[in-house]
Amino acid sequence: MSGNTSSYIFSSIFVLIAHIGMLLNVYFNGNYDSLTQVIILSGAVIILDIAYFLAMLFFRQNTFTVDFLLILILNMSVIFQSCFGEVVFDYKHYITCIVALAACRGGYLLCRNHKWLGEKRKFFYIGILILMVVIVTLTGSRSMWISLGSITIQPSEFIKPLFILACATSITEQQKKHKILCFHIVYENIALFGLTAAICLLQWWCRDLGSLPTFVGIYVCGFLLRICYPKAKFSKKKLIGAGAALLAVAIVGMRFAPAYVQDRLHVDIWADKNGNGYQQSQALIAIANGGWFGKGPGHGELHNVFAHKNDIVFATICEEWGLLYALMMVLAILILIALPLINPPRSYFHGTMSAGISAAFTVQMALNIFGSCNLIPFTGVTIPFISTGGSSLMISGFMAGMLVACQSPVMRSPHLNEQPKQRRIYPQRRNAV
Amino acid sequence: MDSMNLILCAVAAASLDICVLVLILTAYHERTTGNKRWNRITSFMELADYNTVYPLGCDEILIGRHASADIRLADLSVSRYHAILTVSNGVWTITDAGSTSGILINGVPVSQAQLRENDIIKLGNRQLIFRRRRDISVR
Amino acid sequence: MKSIKRCQRVISLFIVAFILGMIVLVVKIQREASFYMINSDKLCLGMVYDKNGDVLFDGTGENEYPDGHFIDIGNLIGDDKGQMDNTLVAKNLKRLNNYSFTAGLKESGGKAAIYTTLDHTANRAVYDAFAGNDGCAVAYNYKTGEILVCTSLPSLDVTKGYDDIENFRSGTLISKNMYKTVPGSTQKVSTVIAALEIMGPNKLFSKRFNCTGSYHNKGGNDIDCHQSYGHGEQDIQQAVENSCNPFFAQLVEDDDFPLNKIKNVFNDMGYAINADEDDNYFDIDGIKCEKASTTLNDPYEFKTQWGCIGQGDTMVSPIQLMMWESAIANENGKMTMPYLIDHVTDVNGKEKDKAKTQTSDRIFTSDTASTVKEILLTNGQNHYAYSIPGYNIGVKSGTAQVFEGAQENSLLVGFVDDPSLPVAFCVVIENKNNTWITTDSIVKVMLDSLSRSNN
Repeated sequence: MSGNTSSYIFSSIFVLIAHIGMLLNVYFNGNYDSLTQVIILSGAVIILDIAYFLAMLFFRQNTFTVDFLLILILNMSVIFQSCFGEVVFDYKHYITCIVALAACRGGYLLCRNHKWLGEKRKFFYIGILILMVVIVTLTGSRSMWISLGSITIQPSEFIKPLFILACATSITEQQKKHKILCFHIVYENIALFGLTAAICLLQWWCRDLGSLPTFVGIYVCGFLLRICYPKAKFSKKKLIGAGAALLAVAIVGMRFAPAYVQDRLHVDIWADKNGNGYQQSQALIAIANGGWFGKGPGHGELHNVFAHKNDIVFATICEEWGLLYALMMVLAILILIALPLINPPRSYFHGTMSAGISAAFTVQMALNIFGSCNLIPFTGVTIPFISTGGSSLMISGFMAGMLVACQSPVMRSPHLNEQPKQRRIYPQRRNAV
Repeated sequence: MDSMNLILCAVAAASLDICVLVLILTAYHERTTGNKRWNRITSFMELADYNTVYPLGCDEILIGRHASADIRLADLSVSRYHAILTVSNGVWTITDAGSTSGILINGVPVSQAQLRENDIIKLGNRQLIFRRRRDISVR
Repeated sequence: MKSIKRCQRVISLFIVAFILGMIVLVVKIQREASFYMINSDKLCLGMVYDKNGDVLFDGTGENEYPDGHFIDIGNLIGDDKGQMDNTLVAKNLKRLNNYSFTAGLKESGGKAAIYTTLDHTANRAVYDAFAGNDGCAVAYNYKTGEILVCTSLPSLDVTKGYDDIENFRSGTLISKNMYKTVPGSTQKVSTVIAALEIMGPNKLFSKRFNCTGSYHNKGGNDIDCHQSYGHGEQDIQQAVENSCNPFFAQLVEDDDFPLNKIKNVFNDMGYAINADEDDNYFDIDGIKCEKASTTLNDPYEFKTQWGCIGQGDTMVSPIQLMMWESAIANENGKMTMPYLIDHVTDVNGKEKDKAKTQTSDRIFTSDTASTVKEILLTNGQNHYAYSIPGYNIGVKSGTAQVFEGAQENSLLVGFVDDPSLPVAFCVVIENKNNTWITTDSIVKVMLDSLSRSNN
């Protein structure tokens, strides 16, 4: 934490103040029977804050802003989730948040050295393939869930960070061109395209149409960043052409989509507000009910609706905390994503990685928020960090860890490291011209 | 209750707002320290032409004639993608990226070489000097 | 470095796209929040007032009203119970709900209200004048478009609920003014308009046809006159005053009156000819009001001739009949569009949506309008000066045979030619042979009470 000690202390204090502000709101406006629940909630949130601030001392990073934002958002979500309907501390979500924080550390440690990661490329592919096989064989009857006793996990979530890593590339990799006939081809780009196609087909088969746009988003992002290198001339015309082709595929896909997808695409939720449109219409009514400032924590009605904690969580927050607050929550997540714009990554690999993460997060948020508000078809995806759900929260934490890694990279080649260090720089520099 | 709700909402929202603002400021502060740290990683080096200075801002730098190259040398003798500069452990390495005219370091043709201070790199007809940065005072 | 910049550009692309989406979302929620709220289980409706501040609907349910206070406008104003769709309240729930996105749903003390143009006193008087007979009456200011009277019998008192709904008489839950009915001889006004448009006044007034009580037309059918002895030879003015069917049958057969030109004029007037349009509606503050339809195939055909006389397939809504009167009375051939809502107030009491007078496109020429006006005024002076004294009115009566002739409805459409009382009206009494009530007595009550409240 060298050099920025004072700003880190300030950041910690203000994160605490933000949480205390929310907790005060819960205390004065909340709907609770006994004060114990509020005290437990406050204690848990503040202890987790302080514990994480202390834990951060043990990590040597260039930047800690991502961590501050992460703890800010995760504890916000703990408070949100504990207040739906009635103030009851949500242990399950609290524990998953801790898991997510641990996953964030793991993500950081794993991804900070891109040269090491670059050498382990094949494992990403193998990992994704294994997960795909797992999905095909283990998930029951074309669903996207695996149940292990009382826990259900969603393997497709785990593909996301691996896929982002597979899409990330360094410039050196992109220069390994091979000439086939008269085309210069980077084998990996072809492999990646195949992989994307395979994942999309699998998602289609599993009817997990919520994750499909996320993967497409990540791939589009990776594709945009990759095509600039293999061929020197990749003009804007071709890019626009590729975009148009993608759009055409999407339109054709929608046209020939299976019946249950078509149903979802053409739902007039108000005509069918007790059937297919129930969740969305209730969500919109709840948003309207909340107005700008909300009805107060615990005073909402939407907690009676299925999936109020994940699929339509934006509306639930809007109802209880107000649209203004929900927008600020979204803003906090957006700033987490936007941090690479302030603190640029120092390698192309990390740059493409953070672009992939931003694609994954924004697409998921867009699908969830716009879907629940009837701007686009409703799919059951989660908002990163806010929705409940073990797998999704853990993976979001891991991806946040990858963002940390992008800003605190280690520039060390795993091989050069083995050689004695003095040999090159100092003696040779004296001989220099 | 109504006005209380409003005030508390405003307080909570304002504290969140200020918190986000402070975090953005922290991020900007970190950028300064991040730049310093980056300078240490890169051993305070830069590339220079006779009239242009090319900072080395990331760990893989593509030199070439093409517009998408990080360091663009608009000269027909330079290949579109001529060479890649990489850094690890504070040492910069230049690697030929399949150029037609090759790389000469201090007049010696190489396909890959570690760079030392004040090396003269010749790419086609263009010459670059690899030197210590002059605009910063080394602390 | 360019390569890093490229990554940053992609990131900002995604973020900007998302923010744009959020902006669209917030704007959409802002604009549609009131609509979302009316789908909620809970509504906090405000009041509907008439033009003098009398309550026509009370959404709060807190106040007491005399028994039957709302009965004369029951099926026009309606309520939020979902039994009547095509009513003012049902169509304007959004404006009547005490809700705004900023203020939220106000359960008490909200000031959302609809101020209508109706005159409850006059409306009540007209309702009472029907003396329990079925029918409907509508009147509006043909200069501005304010609907002053709009009542339809049988009606209901919405405060009494719908427990007794099986025993409601047919037509209780709709305002008949909005729905098409057989116009009878009031259709002859349209035919005269068409004739004037096509031939011009000089030629039309030169046409004279003989009526012997029945006319054997060129298609081989008999067109009977209600006057079995016949009216003798008449011109158009006399035929209108006598409401002579054989005259009009011969007029339709006349070569100077080609059918395709009639079709054009009728089309401009809003008729759906030969049932080719399904959605032939006016929108009166959200309330759907049917226009008119008729069948015109062949000038020698029995059905077509009756179509121009006002029986057969011809159907016109009372409001449409009244609106044509406005185009005549204004002498410009443009209908004044009627409206019910003068203005509304939102939850904070802020006035908005003030109504403006609107006119239709020109449906016939000003010359035609003046000539028809003269014909109708003459008819009014000659035949109604006694029963509706004190007003310079232009009218046309009609008798419509419905249920295959088993029932006769009596209609009277017209207007008052008086700048201080610019009123156009249409009155329908169903099954007129069962009652001593006449349309002119109802019009008299209507005009008397309107002119009283005017002064």
